[in-house]
Amino acid sequence: MSADFRTIRELGADIRAGRLSPVALAEACLARLETTGRKLNAVATITRERGLAQARHAEQELAAGRDRGPLHGIPYGAKDLLATSGGIPTSWGAAPFRDRCFDYDATVIRRLEEAGAVLVAKLAMVEFAGGMGYRQPNASFTGPGVSPWGTDTWSGGSSSGSGSAVGAGVVPFAIGSETWGSILGPATYCSVSGLRPTYGRVSRHGAMALCWTLDKLGPLALTADDCGLVLDAIAGPDARDATAAHRAYRYEPARDGERRFRFAVVRGTVEETEPSVRATVQHALDALRALGTVEEIALPERPYEAMARIILWAEAASAAERFIESGAISGLTAPEDRVTPYARDAILAKDYLKALRLRGVVAREIDGVLARFDAIVGPARGTAGPRLGAEFRSAIRGSFADVLGAIGNAAGLPAVGVPCGFTPDGLPVGLQFMGRAWEENTVIAAARAWQARTDWHRRRPAL
Amino acid sequence: MTDEAEILFALIRARYGARLDEAQREDVKKVVEAIVRDVTTLRAFVLPDDAEPGQPFVPYRAES
Repeated sequence: MSADFRTIRELGADIRAGRLSPVALAEACLARLETTGRKLNAVATITRERGLAQARHAEQELAAGRDRGPLHGIPYGAKDLLATSGGIPTSWGAAPFRDRCFDYDATVIRRLEEAGAVLVAKLAMVEFAGGMGYRQPNASFTGPGVSPWGTDTWSGGSSSGSGSAVGAGVVPFAIGSETWGSILGPATYCSVSGLRPTYGRVSRHGAMALCWTLDKLGPLALTADDCGLVLDAIAGPDARDATAAHRAYRYEPARDGERRFRFAVVRGTVEETEPSVRATVQHALDALRALGTVEEIALPERPYEAMARIILWAEAASAAERFIESGAISGLTAPEDRVTPYARDAILAKDYLKALRLRGVVAREIDGVLARFDAIVGPARGTAGPRLGAEFRSAIRGSFADVLGAIGNAAGLPAVGVPCGFTPDGLPVGLQFMGRAWEENTVIAAARAWQARTDWHRRRPAL
Repeated sequence: MTDEAEILFALIRARYGARLDEAQREDVKKVVEAIVRDVTTLRAFVLPDDAEPGQPFVPYRAES
């Protein structure tokens, strides 16, 4: 039985019915990582020894009647910014750190182990999670991430390997991180589902810091439902991360078809997309009316993107201060990453604080707007996957608009990105559902309802 | 280039200029200009005096 492109729920059912062995499943994923994973530049390190040990343990426990839940025996890959013990390198995608090892596991890695999941790979990522200002896909010592949907098309970043490994059916799920667009972007370009949790929902202990007040960890998987299963395992307070909220989380999948949703579309967000993406997103928004109401709204005029950029670049400059000021950035892959971080010294403290003060205002305003709706819907990414050799446009650098990304990340709001079609050139397009803080279950329910009525998430690339 | 961008770029050149060739200096200058555009936009937006940063400091006390 092939494990490729099968959801966590499907694999779990097969494991419990005795049709699939966790060890065989891990072996299948390990083999696919060596072939397809490497072809897509999705792999930083294959964790064969640890993965097989965990798979054997899972098999023994399940045979003995100990069931740790939906992830028990399920393989996954982790973005290579999550610390792993046991001599497994954690490179942050950066050549100078390609052999660097930690002696502990990040909280997310530890929680997934407790849930019985099987770590088969550390997945490739953009160096420093994009925090050095890269402008083109070749910004990692593992090479540019390749989308399963086009051999000359970028997978998106910075969770590049997390997106392409799931999109190519190499692993059933992966962990990524988002500061601004790093989960929803690769999810879109690789045509998978990606969940950006509320800021503080998931502990960041053991994760590389790019921007302390924007960084979030979350899953990428074949379905929104699978994202919920993973979030259930990794969410919750953590004494090792003061920003991890003291809020319990349980994934509560409702029965599909019962609920009507209230969606809002922010005026201008569809018009700002690339022409190749616009028609597909508009068609998806029209189709959403089958699930509930869709109301166009206007947001107050605020410098949302400038606010998010200043927060991101100021904190990134501080988080990587030692690496930048020592000149060690000269060892990075992307030529622009070796020099442009110096420019961040131009951000003055008062301007950074102005951005933080505005963030407080925006967070309250957007919560007031969202109180009337289940989710704001819009494009998960305004552009189609760029070509590998080309400079791409990005809101983080101010070369493209992304109001939803700026607001959602600055205000720390949860969002799910799901496939919603393709451009005329056959590249994936994504839709996002963004909700109020702590409303992951609402946005997942909306995305699940969408996926119950569409089959975009079941389309497979010709690999 | 605005006066402010010129001054801020001079600061960066003073700190890191020896590490940069001419093309790299031009690259850094463009990023400085983009930063100045962003902060100019932010400064133009008037906030109420009581608008505090959205990420308050929390005093620490070890669990005993």
